[in-house]
Amino acid sequence: MIKYLVKRVLHGLVSVIIVVAIVMILIYSCLDRQLVFAADPVYTQLGNNQKTVYQYRKWEDFGYIDYVPYTEWLQGLVADGELAAEKATELAAFGRKAEDDPEEVAAYVARFTEYYQSQGYQVMRLDAKLSKKKVAPGGQQQLFAYKDKPLLGRLWNYMTGLISVDNIHYVKEDIGERKLTFTLHDPMYGENTFAPAIIGNGTRHKYLLYTDNKFPFIHQNLVSINLGKSYTVNSGVDVFESMNAPQGSYVASVITYPTGLTESSADDLHSATYSAGSKDASLVTRERFTDDYTAVTTVKGGLSQVGYSFVIGIIAVFISYLLGVPLGIIMARKKDKLIDKIGTIYIVFIIAVPSLAYIFLFKAIGYNLGLPTTFNMDSNDWKMFALPIISLALPSVASLMKWLRRYMIDQMNSDYVKFARSGGLSERKIFSRHILKNAIIPLVHGIPGTVLGALVGAIITERVYVVPGAGNLLTKAINMYDNGVIVGVTLFYAMLSVISIILGDLLMAMVDPRISFTSKAR
Amino acid sequence: MTERNLIDVSDLGLREQELFSHVDHNDLESEKITAPRYSYWKSVFRVFFKKRINIVILALFAVILAFTYIYPMVIDYDPFKNLMDSSAKHLLPSAALSKFGNSIHWILGSGASGQSTFDAVWFGSRISITMAFICALINMVIGILVGAVWGFSKKVDIVMTEVYNIIGNVPYILFISVLVLIFSAGFWTMVFALTITGWLSIAYFIRTQVIIIRDREYNLASRCLGTPILRIAMKNILPFMTSVIVTLAATEIPSYISYEVFLSYIGMGMSDMSLGRLIYQAENAMLTPGWQFEFWSPVAVASIITVVLYVVGQNLGDASDPRTHM
Repeated sequence: MIKYLVKRVLHGLVSVIIVVAIVMILIYSCLDRQLVFAADPVYTQLGNNQKTVYQYRKWEDFGYIDYVPYTEWLQGLVADGELAAEKATELAAFGRKAEDDPEEVAAYVARFTEYYQSQGYQVMRLDAKLSKKKVAPGGQQQLFAYKDKPLLGRLWNYMTGLISVDNIHYVKEDIGERKLTFTLHDPMYGENTFAPAIIGNGTRHKYLLYTDNKFPFIHQNLVSINLGKSYTVNSGVDVFESMNAPQGSYVASVITYPTGLTESSADDLHSATYSAGSKDASLVTRERFTDDYTAVTTVKGGLSQVGYSFVIGIIAVFISYLLGVPLGIIMARKKDKLIDKIGTIYIVFIIAVPSLAYIFLFKAIGYNLGLPTTFNMDSNDWKMFALPIISLALPSVASLMKWLRRYMIDQMNSDYVKFARSGGLSERKIFSRHILKNAIIPLVHGIPGTVLGALVGAIITERVYVVPGAGNLLTKAINMYDNGVIVGVTLFYAMLSVISIILGDLLMAMVDPRISFTSKAR
Repeated sequence: MTERNLIDVSDLGLREQELFSHVDHNDLESEKITAPRYSYWKSVFRVFFKKRINIVILALFAVILAFTYIYPMVIDYDPFKNLMDSSAKHLLPSAALSKFGNSIHWILGSGASGQSTFDAVWFGSRISITMAFICALINMVIGILVGAVWGFSKKVDIVMTEVYNIIGNVPYILFISVLVLIFSAGFWTMVFALTITGWLSIAYFIRTQVIIIRDREYNLASRCLGTPILRIAMKNILPFMTSVIVTLAATEIPSYISYEVFLSYIGMGMSDMSLGRLIYQAENAMLTPGWQFEFWSPVAVASIITVVLYVVGQNLGDASDPRTHM
């Protein structure tokens, strides 16, 4: 069994990697790159060479290419100690045309060109655009090298960077003794409170492990998942983080900063990360922090995107099973009676009518009943969850009814049912003890999928009720050409679907002992 | 046994043919098998029309088809005819009818640019229904052919199952949106986007059905008797699948209309004024009090079309199952 499971998981991982590769090919190779600028106001304002450079710079941001300007290469040489900083500034002034270059500069330009061309880069030199002997707006001379990122390299970098473990060598600068300290009394709560924590020096996060009064009480910053950086949807933030970060308005509480300053603030000191030289950068940070771990996030009142989607989704799943299973049983028992016909009409309605239509119908009905139709993160009104949950639950009730009825009716003619009936069992017992147990097996397979599917969220429902959930992340990212988010979300979806299929198979084997995955099927 | 109980045959006045008479044994005749005449498609239609509701729905279906394909050809529809007339916009049916006179064009009121909602809806349905039919046709043909091979060959099964697992994990919206972005968002792009992976799930479904039927005893017997695989597929398995295929088509065709509506709503639909795009554009009207009618009329028409298509297909699927012909 274990061997089989390991094999399934490995298979799943391989297919996830292939999916990510397909998506990367689709978005990085098939899509027209120019589309990125379709709604970019900066791009339309710029002209001449500046426009070209902006274009390549943006493409680098979106992950299409590697882009190295000449000056950046010179800076690199300075960092390596090969050039003096003043010399680099001098060398950076290359001519309006290649012929105008001073001799020394020409040598470095040649070296730059040769170096990057040997690495497969294209070197582009744009001569200055002149109008009436003067440089035209945005027409300054430009020199840079660029290269399309190869698929395999991109895939490799992405996969290896997926999980990062914080370590004490993260900080490049001099930071004193690099160490991890385990303490039973988190300094944030004072000396007397029992609150174990691991505090690092030299790591990215200050707190690697800490406890607080929020579920699940013990939190860690040691291992982080990086699904890919966002550029337009949530600029500069990792997809995983933007899916899981709390939203809503700030919640302030009285906190004590490391310097001992006590004030009411929404800062979450446990989230402190390293930011070089930040302590002395301003008075505000100097008054509060004793080291450079000053980058903190804020405590917010709402749930995260995934949180909202999951709360709504999981309640909807519960309701749909609670309603769908009994209704399906009743429909099968009263086959061709009135209740079966009403149920069938409902099922046909849900299957045939576009989902958009009935969600708006539910919204209109809910509005007339006085339920809130839009979501507001800052209100504590639990009624606002009602309509999204109903809109999600009612369609899945229909599909549960449909399949359970079908499976039960298929079982009704089997020999064991006839035998049970001739043995004198009551219809009730036959249905609940025998038919249901056999009919529910295919449905059990779908349970992990529906539960995990709740994490993904619902596209239309969340849009219609303005729920700040995760459902629209993918469509938003596609509309805004946020390649990092597209890849990250795809990976997330693919992982969930692989896991839910495996869990479904396991659950099915647990419910039905006849199903075995160890012996060869057929 | 008395004399009274015996009846003289000649007293009954029956003709010679109605009485028992001796028949000689005939070798040729005894080889004949008598069975009621059975024609598959005749029985399908007999069962289909036995339900009265089917006639009503079929009539409704004919009306819808007439409106989607004939109506747009006979009328002269210009969505921007009333563009400059601000009093013609966002009218309820009663207001539109009193403004433009009693004609069929205005029974659903007017839209954002003063166009007739009724005409717009049918122009939109023509695009949507045509697209649904074409997509269903392509997907069904490819899906059934691939699914049949997939079900029969164990080698193909291994490869295709992996392909299915992988492609099934790529979000469908991603495929469609990338294709829509690469090409322009036209009609054929949409067809291409919906069919490029759409056949895969149909093929998988057919594959499962083929596997179930393939190993039945009668097929085993047929194989033992030396029937070639192709003949088994055509004569033993395909007839069995007819009802499954018809039922599948019944769910497929409306699902493309729904899907197109969904795609338009999230902003990835086609540029033509399809039903989905109409609904998408009327969404703002939905949020404006008094204008909701503009939103509900295309939604209602889309719903009626999909329900009718679905019910016709389901009942045809039921009727095409030979087990219902007895």
